[in-house]
Amino acid sequence: MRLSIINGSPRATTGNTEKLLGHFIKGFLEKDGNSVEVLHSIKHRPDFIKEKEMFRDAERLLIAFPLYIDAMPGSVKELFESFEPLKGENTGLKLMFMVQCGFPETHHTRFVARYCEKLARRLECEFCGSICKGGCEGLTVQPPALVDKVFSRFHDLGAVYGETGELDPVILGKLAHPEHLTADNLKQVIPMVNAFLWDGWMKKNNVLEKSFDKPYGD
Amino acid sequence: MKVLFINGSGNASELDAYMATVMGLVSKAGHEAKELVLRDMNYSPCRGCFNCWVKTPGLCVFKDDGDILCREFLSCDLAVITSPVIMGYPAALVKNALDRIIPLIHPHLEDVGGEVHHVKRYKKYPAIALMLEKAGDTDDEDIEIISEIFQRAAINLQSWLKFVMLTGSPAEEASHAIVNN
Repeated sequence: MRLSIINGSPRATTGNTEKLLGHFIKGFLEKDGNSVEVLHSIKHRPDFIKEKEMFRDAERLLIAFPLYIDAMPGSVKELFESFEPLKGENTGLKLMFMVQCGFPETHHTRFVARYCEKLARRLECEFCGSICKGGCEGLTVQPPALVDKVFSRFHDLGAVYGETGELDPVILGKLAHPEHLTADNLKQVIPMVNAFLWDGWMKKNNVLEKSFDKPYGD
Repeated sequence: MKVLFINGSGNASELDAYMATVMGLVSKAGHEAKELVLRDMNYSPCRGCFNCWVKTPGLCVFKDDGDILCREFLSCDLAVITSPVIMGYPAALVKNALDRIIPLIHPHLEDVGGEVHHVKRYKKYPAIALMLEKAGDTDDEDIEIISEIFQRAAINLQSWLKFVMLTGSPAEEASHAIVNN
């Protein structure tokens, strides 16, 4: 099985999208004969010549991106616009998406995932599902055991995909957990992320006291 | 009221003319109307480095027109985003511009109606409105998807979505929706 992947992250090879894809790919390649090719679309804007070629030739294409202001990053929207002339050019294409977000709840990704499903129809491809995952900004501050669990689920999702050619709905469901946070979770998670992730990061940069700076006035 | 028209059209078009008419009506009603023509501005896509939150709080590392986008957005009462719908969503020109205004918010999280969202950096943020120019392949579902996403984006931008209109509607109607509370 050959899988083509477009990583649409503006952080290209250094972001969480790449990290999660890495585990998915590792699982996928465990099956003999499977192969994968990956493009980082931020490097090919605004023409996206390689991505357009990939779209035309691929049998299975996974487009992955982080959530930026509740949608795809602007550069990924550029990519989608560049695909407009390719409508109906690869009607056999099995098209999938992966959306990861920094917010702890996966729910934030569902709205752009609906857009993605429509996009697959618009391009006249076969929509084969979206991998939605919240909590990714926290990956840097979460306990290693939790992070490993996320990585191993991406690995398993890739491994099953490599065998069956399908995104396993059970693993997708586990990955998406928590879809929402309970009131108790909210009370725990919010101060933790604020203190350990954001304040910790600012402290490291010696700018914690400037945290609430207002360079554009009041 | 100060109304900022964010023009996301990729070239001089009917959308420009329509906007000019609406802006004229808004001015005539006694409000200040200002236009940012995104295609004439120079700003890189956000690279997701978070430096505007953790290294130079409130300021993007890029020295380009992203600065104007932040300043103008923050200083208006209503930001009217006018854009053609391309592949079922407002233009990348618009999305790249919105991605660049995240220095205006703060990385800290808070509970907003049972969901995690970002907190304010400034006291006051404008409302957002959308004026969309349909393409041949735009349908009602697209408008619904866009509206849903912008309602959520508005929460994260400390704003609210005042209305979504299509440019097919009479300019008077658009102007009315803009100036009325």
